[in-house]
Amino acid sequence: MPKFQLYNPLSQWVRKAKEYNAIADIGEIGRRYFAMNAFDGVLTIIGVLIGNMSAGVDSVRIVVTTGFTTCIAMGISGLWGSYLTESAERKRDMEELSRSMLVDQNNTRLGRASRFAAIIIAIIDGLAPLLAALIVLIPFFMAEIFPTIQSTYITALGISLLTLFGLGVFLGNISRENLIISGLKTIIAGIVSILIGLLL
Amino acid sequence: MIGKIRRLVLDTLKPIEPSIIDIARQISELDGITAVNISISEVDHRVESAKITVEGDDIHYEDLLKLIQDLGGSIHSVDEVVAGKMIIDDAATLQD
Repeated sequence: MPKFQLYNPLSQWVRKAKEYNAIADIGEIGRRYFAMNAFDGVLTIIGVLIGNMSAGVDSVRIVVTTGFTTCIAMGISGLWGSYLTESAERKRDMEELSRSMLVDQNNTRLGRASRFAAIIIAIIDGLAPLLAALIVLIPFFMAEIFPTIQSTYITALGISLLTLFGLGVFLGNISRENLIISGLKTIIAGIVSILIGLLL
Repeated sequence: MIGKIRRLVLDTLKPIEPSIIDIARQISELDGITAVNISISEVDHRVESAKITVEGDDIHYEDLLKLIQDLGGSIHSVDEVVAGKMIIDDAATLQD
């Protein structure tokens, strides 16, 4: 019986992605990288904000510029760094497997899945800190609604703690532990870096 | 008209992943194949030996070979083949 299939590139891509995910186990590593780098992103931007605040920067433009360039740098760092490390690790893995199989595995589904995984993980790794840090900077993008720059700083720091809490909840969800406790653990890291920053 | 292959028994070596469940599913989707049986005979550090038995009305060996290779496996030997209008087993002889 002839098969009539609607050609849909997106659904085909999703099918391929699912298959590669099953082979290369992208989900777990992606999740780990996402949490780790979003956490990194928030703490870095806390550092930038506290630094600006302590130095008495009262220009929104300066805060947005330094914050945004930091976000971009973190994004590029994540993208580049993880692509290089991830593809190096996976290449080595493929080579070991090729040696065990006595057949080159690079042109098989495993090889393609492994290259796909390196790209997806690099994208996650780049976007996670960038987006997390951008969320914290939101008050500065709408600074005109705040009465003073100090209140913008405080709101942004408040959002950073909330983002950290959200990340903690995300991690708690993975480890299936108490979500509030897990959220508080990540918030503490934010509070510690704020306090140390203020003391300097 | 070329004779149709109805049963093939292959001795293969495959990486641990993808699992034989995935491989069996994918082989069973090939045209001309009605059933597939895969059993593991030996497990090593990263690879395992699998005996793949396929039956069908018209097995395309080249497609099967391509799929197994694409899944990372390699065929060591073709241990049994049945072709024709029906499936027959090897006949018992006095020497057996």
